[in-house]
Amino acid sequence: MVVDVANFATHTLNGLQYGFILFLIASGLTIILGILDVLNLAHGELYAVGAYVASSVFGYVTGILASPEGVAGLAVFLVVALIAAVVAAAVLIPLGIALESLFLRPLYERNEVYQLVLTFGLLLVLKDVNKFIWGVRSVRASEIYSGINAIPAAEFVGLNFPTFKIVIIVVGATVVLGLFYFFNRTKTGRIIRATAIDREMATAIGVSTDRTFTLVFAMGAFFAGFAGAMALPQSQATLEMGANPLVLSFVVIVIGGLGSLRGAFVGAMIVGLLSRWAVWQYPPAEIAAPFAIMALILLVKPNGLFGTWGETA
Amino acid sequence: MSEDEATEETEATDATRRSLEDWGRASYVPATRTQDGDRYLRVTRGMVLTPLRLVGWLALFVLFVAIPDIASLSPGIQQRVLHQGVLFGLAAVGLNVLLRHTKLVSFGHAAFFGTGAYTAAVLATHFDVTSMVLLLAAATLLGTLMAGVIGFLSLRHTGLYFSLLTLAFGQLLYAIANGQSVLGGSDGLSVRPGEANRATLFGAEFGADVYSVVVYYLTVLVVVVALFVMWRIVNSPFGKALDAIGQDRTRAQFIGIPVRKYVLAAFVLSGVYGGVAGGMYGLVQQHVRPESTLYFLRSGEILFMAILGGFGTLVGPLVGGVVLVFLQDVGRDFTSYFDALTGVVLILLVFGFPRGIVGSLQSGSGLRQRASAFVDDPTVVGDWVENAVVATTAALARAKQNLWILVFGVR
Repeated sequence: MVVDVANFATHTLNGLQYGFILFLIASGLTIILGILDVLNLAHGELYAVGAYVASSVFGYVTGILASPEGVAGLAVFLVVALIAAVVAAAVLIPLGIALESLFLRPLYERNEVYQLVLTFGLLLVLKDVNKFIWGVRSVRASEIYSGINAIPAAEFVGLNFPTFKIVIIVVGATVVLGLFYFFNRTKTGRIIRATAIDREMATAIGVSTDRTFTLVFAMGAFFAGFAGAMALPQSQATLEMGANPLVLSFVVIVIGGLGSLRGAFVGAMIVGLLSRWAVWQYPPAEIAAPFAIMALILLVKPNGLFGTWGETA
Repeated sequence: MSEDEATEETEATDATRRSLEDWGRASYVPATRTQDGDRYLRVTRGMVLTPLRLVGWLALFVLFVAIPDIASLSPGIQQRVLHQGVLFGLAAVGLNVLLRHTKLVSFGHAAFFGTGAYTAAVLATHFDVTSMVLLLAAATLLGTLMAGVIGFLSLRHTGLYFSLLTLAFGQLLYAIANGQSVLGGSDGLSVRPGEANRATLFGAEFGADVYSVVVYYLTVLVVVVALFVMWRIVNSPFGKALDAIGQDRTRAQFIGIPVRKYVLAAFVLSGVYGGVAGGMYGLVQQHVRPESTLYFLRSGEILFMAILGGFGTLVGPLVGGVVLVFLQDVGRDFTSYFDALTGVVLILLVFGFPRGIVGSLQSGSGLRQRASAFVDDPTVVGDWVENAVVATTAALARAKQNLWILVFGVR
């Protein structure tokens, strides 16, 4: 098999950006699971809501900044687009807080089956909320994609690769570093980890678990929405878009170890790279590869690569 | 009533209950018995019912048998939809072995359902097998084998890992069915063997209308036998052992129950139900698609059917299957937001009827207590509404306060 280096680099970069998108979704899922002990089936829909809100926000932004020109214009466009993505994701924060305090809080003490039923019910409702607000037709934000791609970046090394995907890689890496900094170095992050390790002890030293849980759920929702906003420009927002990322992020967090942030990162990279290489070499394996890998890893390491959340993030 | 009297009374009822149970287990011969002024009927060994319940069961059975007639009377009720609901419900009955007794949440039951359906489809399309019985037998066999393999690989884990692992295997099968052209890819395969394009029963060919009715009654037969077998199993020592495993694995191990073997047996048993239901589904729909049989949302639905119907009961999952499929189909007709309709029903289920439809109708459930409170004093509804409003406002106020503190800090 002849492997073309440029091709290999392109598919690897593709895999990396896909991995970072998956990480953004899975990180929220994994911290919610690690701390609230809830498997949030509605997480994929939060991602979809993020993408839909982003389509509206991006539409507004591109309405103001028509077609950008020159170095300064392109730079401004990039910054504004990123801010727009953050704004879109921020809509998910109040939504997450409302969902957690209204629906999930009464269920922590009950059989985990009910949490699954509830979050699945929320999944269905959120899906139809999207349908109600944005309609059944798919929504795009291709102006953002082409606008950012007008910035030549990969061409410097003689590679034909969309700049937008490089932006995703850079932003994703920033978020990864930020999250690890947050959970390892800041007080709030340590409080969250302490709550994850021992809920009762954390309450005893004056941590409000209610508040921590709300914060964690809102954070998870924010990152899911941000992933949606970042993934939108290169594809489209559809009503079914939540299902696949949800299942893939299950795979990611199981590979990494339930509740482990580091595991989620490694898992996301494995799944992202493998599925993109599979698309390149043997397309039928694309859907199957992540699940096969997950089954293999669990047979060898039953608790995933990095065990569970706790002493280290 | 003093405490002593209360204890005496419970002891007395315990003794009555025990003597009734002993009588119920004494013989296979049907008999009646009057105890404390109540009449009891022994239908067969271990099955003791009050006359009212027996009538209820018979009525349910007659309704079940009469569905094709009812469907022909009303255009709103389609036999095909109810039939599909019954089949998914049957798979949910199988899943309920794991959920109710061993407390394992399987999120990949569509795998067995889909294996059964695809077995029937492959045999019909590629090998031109026309016998319904043969197709069903093969579907059940393959579903069972699949359950053996998946169970062997995933039962090393419990809790969420088990759920997610079963989900992964289900999706793996979905991916395979989607990717292989032998299996028809995303278009799926048809189940139309022979010259008549329909499967035959003992060599007899049927026209389109007769076929659907024949398949329906075959389903009725399968479901009744399956429920009876399930009832026997859960009331056998094996069923009690599964209960013990569900309550505490380690203790079950200590008292000498071969936990892994028993759990695997329960998993395979649930696979049998999934396989036979899937095979029937192939015969009914005459076309099998990966989307509708193997996708993970199907697995989720099978799980939620069991919970909606009441996973603490035997027939609950079947009822849940019919209700959920019916709800989705009817919802599709009168609103384009039918998904949200199902979602709202599930959310109401969690908060209002955690024991499911059948579970809520049983004595001692919250719904029954509320119903009797309502009969005693209808004004109690006002209190309930008030309580609900107070609870919701309190939750919203908490959310607002939490948001405030998260954004602006404590001071």
